[in-house]
Amino acid sequence: MSGRRSRSKQSSVSSITDNQITDLVSKLQHLILELRRRRFDKVSTSKVLQETCNYIRSLHREVEDLSDRLSQLLASTDGGSDQAAIIRSLLMQ
Amino acid sequence: MKRWTTKREHQIYSSKLFQALCRSRRTSSSTSAKELHQTADRVLAITAKGTTRWSRAILAAPLTAGTNMKKHKKAKVTVHTRLRKPVVNREKRKLPVVERKLRALRRLVPGCRKLSCNNLLEETSDYIAALEMQVRALTAITEFLSRGLL
Repeated sequence: MSGRRSRSKQSSVSSITDNQITDLVSKLQHLILELRRRRFDKVSTSKVLQETCNYIRSLHREVEDLSDRLSQLLASTDGGSDQAAIIRSLLMQ
Repeated sequence: MKRWTTKREHQIYSSKLFQALCRSRRTSSSTSAKELHQTADRVLAITAKGTTRWSRAILAAPLTAGTNMKKHKKAKVTVHTRLRKPVVNREKRKLPVVERKLRALRRLVPGCRKLSCNNLLEETSDYIAALEMQVRALTAITEFLSRGLL
């Protein structure tokens, strides 16, 4: 994970998470396509459900990790009001 | 479900979250990661506008301040069969695989423990799309704040 972080400073903002997400989504889609091609049988269904659960858990972990980093970031700044105003105007565009 | 992918929705969520974070920083000196996660979830649920069960469940849940978050993970532990009450029919001791997976899914999506399979899958797909937006928004806010500091 730390290797990915050092690369991110050169590339665009959300490219790390986007890649992970598109990876997992394409995996899910792949499984669903498999399900349609074959007969409906329990093995594929349980695989899809398993992948879904794993995906949700990984999203939860990701949000936890981001919350961790963000709270540390907020703790290290004094939250000056000019910064807040600039950021808010950036978000509003 | 498509609403979670629009830029507009992303902006609404990001600005609401940012406002909530500013408010919480004014009242308390520091925000723990757990509180931030909880705030991010609650704002996400608000953005859903009460149309889904998972969002209503998040808003209805009491605010936990600390270690309560681990509570639901205990349900996953499988008790040794000797400690369980004796089951008469031994073949039915293990639920079919699909049922077990559905049960795991029900525990992951808020407020869906007693939901039927069809409704559960609908809630799941909306929940996943919302979580993906949450990840994008949190990443964006973190990036903005890091740039402001450097």
